[in-house]
Amino acid sequence: MVSKTEEEQLNRLENQVDNGGGGAWEYLSLLIKLKIRRSDKVLKYGVPILNDHKKRSALGPEEWTLYEQVCIAAMDCHQLDLSKDCIKVLKKKFPGSRRVGRLEAMFLEAKGLWSEAEEAYTSLLEDNQFDQVVHKRRVAMAKAQGNLSGAIELLNKYLEIFMADHEAWRELAETYVSLQMYKQAAFCYEELILAQPTVPLYHLAYADVLYTIGGLENLQAAKKYYAAAIDLTGGKNVRALFGMCLCASAIGHLAKGRNKEDKESLELQTLSAVALEKDYKQTSPSKLPLVSSCLRSLKVPL
Amino acid sequence: MAEDLVLDTAIRNWVLVPLSVVMVLIGILRYFASKLIRSDQVPDIKIVKEGQVIIRARNLRAAANFIPAKSFRARRFYFSNEENGLLYVPKGQGQNPQAQMFSDPNMAMDMMKKNLSMIIPQTLTFAWVNFFFSGFVAAKIPFPLTQRFRAMLQNGIDLSTVDVSYVSSRSWYFLNLFGLRGLFSLILGEDNATDDTQRMMQMGGFGFDPTRSLGAEKDNLDIVQHEWALPKFEQRAEAVLKKLVG
Repeated sequence: MVSKTEEEQLNRLENQVDNGGGGAWEYLSLLIKLKIRRSDKVLKYGVPILNDHKKRSALGPEEWTLYEQVCIAAMDCHQLDLSKDCIKVLKKKFPGSRRVGRLEAMFLEAKGLWSEAEEAYTSLLEDNQFDQVVHKRRVAMAKAQGNLSGAIELLNKYLEIFMADHEAWRELAETYVSLQMYKQAAFCYEELILAQPTVPLYHLAYADVLYTIGGLENLQAAKKYYAAAIDLTGGKNVRALFGMCLCASAIGHLAKGRNKEDKESLELQTLSAVALEKDYKQTSPSKLPLVSSCLRSLKVPL
Repeated sequence: MAEDLVLDTAIRNWVLVPLSVVMVLIGILRYFASKLIRSDQVPDIKIVKEGQVIIRARNLRAAANFIPAKSFRARRFYFSNEENGLLYVPKGQGQNPQAQMFSDPNMAMDMMKKNLSMIIPQTLTFAWVNFFFSGFVAAKIPFPLTQRFRAMLQNGIDLSTVDVSYVSSRSWYFLNLFGLRGLFSLILGEDNATDDTQRMMQMGGFGFDPTRSLGAEKDNLDIVQHEWALPKFEQRAEAVLKKLVG
């Protein structure tokens, strides 16, 4: 997770570098430290350093990290010749290194040679079965080939060992959603909420999934999670507000006034609708009539 | 007190300086030797997995109130049921670390390598210093000190009449042994410094028993009272929205 101050520092540095204020190397190493991927910038500022012999040798041992960074960035931007050159240099410096092997496999992957890349990754895993990056690359590769069920299988296998890796849980949840396997996705989102209970996005996504599954009980739960998302974002999340309206209206249809809680639920719905209208009035007045009529059709007493 | 001792310059040239140089060289040599014999440690898959299980169970315990009761119960069962729960350790299967050490020769081997690279050169250098340089007064510090420093600075000279500001060769060795850390971190890079004092401390804290923490985590999980926190969020959301709208 990137904290707010770190992001600020990064943006300030990027601004400085963009405007020719120097500090390119500091910027690049901050990118590595925060694990942020801005490949175009890396290429723009990394390549000049690598080409300048004096600057390059001033980095000391960090020179090789920069080669790796530029290599991956070049693959992202499809400058395969450049990444090939980087790999060549690294291979000469570190013969037989696993880390360089990983780059080579990624290079195969970038060229679209799936079976060769798969082979390379498999042999890397035989060497060290705890290489999380390689595991994840394999999942990404399955996804790139459109093999979603294969990706799910790989992810499940990975999560059996590294079950505390919430990024993998998130990937799995999103893959399940795209395959419309909502029960499984709900489980994954629960796992994410457990790992980071204060992230509103997970509450929101979980509520979406519950709402999609449907049924009175799930809808009521969904409403609660939308409420949590609203609370955690301070009512700034439009999706949560819309979700709240939809959810409350669906519950109203299903329950048909049997419920005593209805009154309270209506209030939340009304409030969300008002908050939505207010938000639209401020940011996009031209869309306001559309939103109002839409909200009215949800039988929101305005 | 007799007049000041005069130290021969030959002592400086043949004792003080060589001793320091040798200490530095040995430190560097030992760094490279330990780099050579260090084996790549491949962690055991079971231990990695157990660590991850513990993190996940801890998350479940800490944030239990954020998921519906049904989901919580399902998860708790998954972790702590007595048949194949992840946290359940059958009785008698928990290995104690000593037995584990004997069953895993790699571990013992690793320990030995660490010890070898530390103890052997130290004993050798100490013996060498003792043999060649014992009994020298090697240096004099330019300020007076109290009697309590005698044990530290005049190791190997059993004379109570010598002024405390004189340093014996054996004490010079000890001062070097513990004082060269800064120099090493300068020569070998920040984290490569062969830090004897720290390594000695590490030796004590050996042996971590994952099965025991699994059991403890299971007990903790068993006593968690689940109370769904979400209904409260509806009221809180209402308050937030009221504030926003109003």
